[in-house]
Amino acid sequence: MDPQTVQIGLTLKWLLTIAWLLPLLGFVVELIGGGWVWGRYSKNAAYLSVICIVTGFICSFTALMTWGNGTNWSALKDHGAAHGDAHGATPAHTEAGAHGAAKPAAAAHGHDDHAKPDAHAAKDGAAKKDDHAKHDDHAKPATVAAPAAGEHAVVEAHHHKDPKVVFTGLFYRLAQFGSLDISLSYYIDSLTLVMFTMVTFIASCIHIFAIGYMSEELTDNYADHQVHTSHGHLHRPGRFHRFFSFLSLFCFSMLGLVLAGNIFQVFIFWELVGVCSYFLIGFYTERKSASNAANKAFIMNRVGDFGFLIGLMIVWTWFGNFQFGDLPADGHTQPGLFSMVRGNDGQMKLHVPESGKAEVVFKNQDNHIQTKPNGEQRTIPYWLLVAAGLGVFGGCIGKSAQFPLQTWLPDAMEGPTPVSALVHSATMVAAGVYLVGRFYPMFTPEVLLVIAYIGAITLFLAATIAVVATDIKKVLAYSTISQLGYMMLGLGLGGWAAGLFHLITHAFFKSLMFLASGSVIYGCHHVQEMPQMGGLRRKMPLTAYTMLVGVIAIAGLAIPYVTLPGGDPIAFSGYHSKDAIVATALTYMKLNGHYLLFFLPLAGAGITAFYMFRLWFYTFAGEPRDKEVYEHAHESPWVMVGPLVVLSFFAAFCAFGGESGILFKLLLDSEPSSVAGGYVAQTEYLGQGLLNLKLPSHGAIHANHAQAGTLALIMAFVGAGCAYLVYGVRWVNAAEIKAQFSGIHQFLINKWGFDEFYDMLFVRPTHVVAGWCSAIDRVIFDGFLHSTAKAAIKVSDWDRKFDETIVDGAVNTVGIWTFAIGRSLSVVQTGRMRNYVMFIAVGLLSIFALLIMFFPN
Amino acid sequence: MDLSSYLLVGAVLFVAGVVCMATKRNGIGVLMGVELVLNGANINFVAFANYTKLGLDGQVISLFVIVMAAAEAAVALAIALSFYNNHLTIDVDQANQLQG
Amino acid sequence: MTGHQFLFWVFAAVTCGGAIAVVLTQNVVRMAFWLIVSLGASAGLFFLLNADFVGTAQLLVYVGGTLVLLVFGVMLTASGPFSKMQTRPGELFLAGIVAFLLLGLLGSSVCSVDWDRVVASTNAGQPITTHHALNQGYNRPEEGNTGHPLGMAFLGMRPDRDLAPGTKTLSTGYLLPFEIASVHLLVVLIGAAYLARAKRRIHPNES
Repeated sequence: MDPQTVQIGLTLKWLLTIAWLLPLLGFVVELIGGGWVWGRYSKNAAYLSVICIVTGFICSFTALMTWGNGTNWSALKDHGAAHGDAHGATPAHTEAGAHGAAKPAAAAHGHDDHAKPDAHAAKDGAAKKDDHAKHDDHAKPATVAAPAAGEHAVVEAHHHKDPKVVFTGLFYRLAQFGSLDISLSYYIDSLTLVMFTMVTFIASCIHIFAIGYMSEELTDNYADHQVHTSHGHLHRPGRFHRFFSFLSLFCFSMLGLVLAGNIFQVFIFWELVGVCSYFLIGFYTERKSASNAANKAFIMNRVGDFGFLIGLMIVWTWFGNFQFGDLPADGHTQPGLFSMVRGNDGQMKLHVPESGKAEVVFKNQDNHIQTKPNGEQRTIPYWLLVAAGLGVFGGCIGKSAQFPLQTWLPDAMEGPTPVSALVHSATMVAAGVYLVGRFYPMFTPEVLLVIAYIGAITLFLAATIAVVATDIKKVLAYSTISQLGYMMLGLGLGGWAAGLFHLITHAFFKSLMFLASGSVIYGCHHVQEMPQMGGLRRKMPLTAYTMLVGVIAIAGLAIPYVTLPGGDPIAFSGYHSKDAIVATALTYMKLNGHYLLFFLPLAGAGITAFYMFRLWFYTFAGEPRDKEVYEHAHESPWVMVGPLVVLSFFAAFCAFGGESGILFKLLLDSEPSSVAGGYVAQTEYLGQGLLNLKLPSHGAIHANHAQAGTLALIMAFVGAGCAYLVYGVRWVNAAEIKAQFSGIHQFLINKWGFDEFYDMLFVRPTHVVAGWCSAIDRVIFDGFLHSTAKAAIKVSDWDRKFDETIVDGAVNTVGIWTFAIGRSLSVVQTGRMRNYVMFIAVGLLSIFALLIMFFPN
Repeated sequence: MDLSSYLLVGAVLFVAGVVCMATKRNGIGVLMGVELVLNGANINFVAFANYTKLGLDGQVISLFVIVMAAAEAAVALAIALSFYNNHLTIDVDQANQLQG
Repeated sequence: MTGHQFLFWVFAAVTCGGAIAVVLTQNVVRMAFWLIVSLGASAGLFFLLNADFVGTAQLLVYVGGTLVLLVFGVMLTASGPFSKMQTRPGELFLAGIVAFLLLGLLGSSVCSVDWDRVVASTNAGQPITTHHALNQGYNRPEEGNTGHPLGMAFLGMRPDRDLAPGTKTLSTGYLLPFEIASVHLLVVLIGAAYLARAKRRIHPNES
């Protein structure tokens, strides 16, 4: 690696580290300074938070630019071509043949460094067998241990394009156990950079918005109208600075998670994110519902994290390594997890020993097989790799609120709205999707199938519930779950870039919609129920129309039959990302069957459009339903509306260009090589219990793009149209529909009965068992203890009596006797000399009398 | 006369002195009782000196007793006077500060 | 009855009677008188016991000194009309019983001892013969039989012992006790004077 690249790696490392640690600095300062130094009326905490996160954004963006310049923007320049060529170069997919017919030769011979075929199929052959001297330098594993500071970069061997560069290295080694170590490290590729930029940007907007939204907390006497005490509403000191310090900590945790270079570090920040969400969801801690929601979120996440831990243990035990990327160690390069499983060609190497269970052979970063000291191959049983993948994905299920752990997210609406915005777009739930994306090379096709199904179920289930929800924030919450389902589905189907693409676009329009809903709630004085709203667009136009941008984006509407010069339809960001996922699903279905995985998201697209427009019409259109709320409604101040406008711009145009746009290409650059050209299960091992799954290649997806896009667009228009008919012009009375389908309605209101189901399945049995335990405690243990205590009391009672009567009695008696004798003898002490003389005489006589009596002689 | 006659006289003096000490409420009377007791003892000493091998030593002791008695009388009388000065009486029963 | 016996009985009777009279008399002045009688008679008994120096000392010191002192005491303390300081009859009765018992005890003790055997080698009952008494260190009566030996004894010499036949060692005398007694007397003199000095509590203006 040339020194220039090393220099870029260093620059990126420090820029991102600054962006990562600044919020922590803000948190610490606010924690110390917030309440005591600045006082409760000061906005300094907010300003500090904003400064930290905005600086973080600038650093992140600078890092993105640095990276882009350092790689000559090869990701953008080449990908279109690469995209086009990819399927041509993939022999597994014949249907793509026409697309890139002219390219295979060029790819194989490597005439054009920029119009390059995908590395997958041709890589080994080109590099090792054909022995094209011209490309040898590319074919060689371009891994060079950097000389200083543990800097290291792995250059993946894409022969005919500028190599994909990953910067990875150590910050600090926390502990070392033999060959195993736990460290703070970083892993920087374009996904990291895009996530950093997105998170810091959205967080900045939310921070600024929150200055306005939380301003009511700038008081010594905040009246919480939802908490009733014996003497009216609860009054408490405002917690402005606390809110912002937690917000900063939240951002720090999320950025740390994104920057993390090993799975253990991810886990640490994963938990930190969970703790922060706990703090913020339970921000109105006096509200019973809020503290319950915080508990629920935390506990549900623990369930998922249990799986995560199991996955970690498997990885720890079998790989002995947590690092994602390759790291130099003691003069040689320690291959990371990705290299061990996938090598540098993206393919797992399976091996079936005589025992008959398939195993995955570990490779080095240069694709050589790792061996133990005794010459055997280092392997992991295939099923354990599946289990590790499922375990880690279990953590993602919890964090991203996927079925069956989705129930915490709607409850998390108890937090202040900026928190909801942050949780739902940039931080908490994004962490799960991000981890699936980051850990992707470790997932086997079986795990991916599970991911896809979970995503499909989630998206459909949440979408249906969202249709009947009336709380404006709950609708958005369910839509989030649904969209997360889309992302998981996309990732599970092999549409790696499509899933993460949707993550980014969704972050923009969902944060926009949440902030808009926050603006509505703020303007309506904390009314959240949509049936009390209506017609608000006249009162708060900016909020209404920025919200409309978000709604159109999420619904995936586009203008049909009109395309931009590049061939892309005119549409907002959601259309492009969702379209990519649906196209992937269609391709996947054509390859593998699994029809549900296509029809559920397709139906979901329609439902999404329906409920989002329902929300918008309900809130902003038509006549006001509650005059009082309407009368008092007002547009929010600029500090809140400003971020809305900015976000609406990005929600509309961040995905400009669709799959040939900048954002998608940036993401695609980080796509694991295993999916770049379509992963094919190794058919010779299918007898070993492996599923015959083929992941769609880019080319195949592209071929189905138009068809899927059309279907999704039709569904979206149908959904939006229905919403317009029912809630916009009120052509159909919603109440009648509700009455007609009261059973289904009730079923959906009950959220498919998940809460009840969990209540029945877990909570009540737990209560019963706890009841038994407490009964055992009360009856047996307490009984034993109490009887022991009583016996002790009895014994000590007796002891006391013994003491009082016998011991004390003896002492007292002796004393009394002594006293009485002394008293009686003192009578003799007359003090009169004459008496004493007489006593002497009497005594003398007595002595002699005794002598005579006893000694007569 | 034999020894026991003298000893009996000494005994009578002794007993008289003791009774005198025990019954007299007058301090001077008590002093007189003391003199009688000492004198009874003196008779015994001198009698033993005469009738036994004690010899001259007995008389020496009795001389010392006489001297001691004189000294005692002087001091006791001073005490009696002091007592009288304090109590305006010579009744020894008034001196009962040591009563238990 | 020899003269010696007669004299003994007379002196003994007076001595005992005086003593008893001291006990029985309630008047302190008469008590002093009977005491003089008793002590004087006992001095006679000393003379009968060949202790002329002791008897003389008895008469001089006791009768002439101590008793006078007592009488002075009586006079100094009995200012004003004599207050009655009667002893309770119970006490007198008890004292009488004790007295008789004590007297019986002492008397029986004296009588139960076989003095002849105890003092076998002594000159019990014998008048002092010249040779014997000289051997014992006594002088002849006309020389005052104990004056010189006592003086020698107080000076630390014991001719009565050391001059006996066969005596090879020197006996110790009473010089040191004598000196101590003299110092003692001086101390007593000073102490008595200190104790007896007038320090009346009652101020003249109170009375």
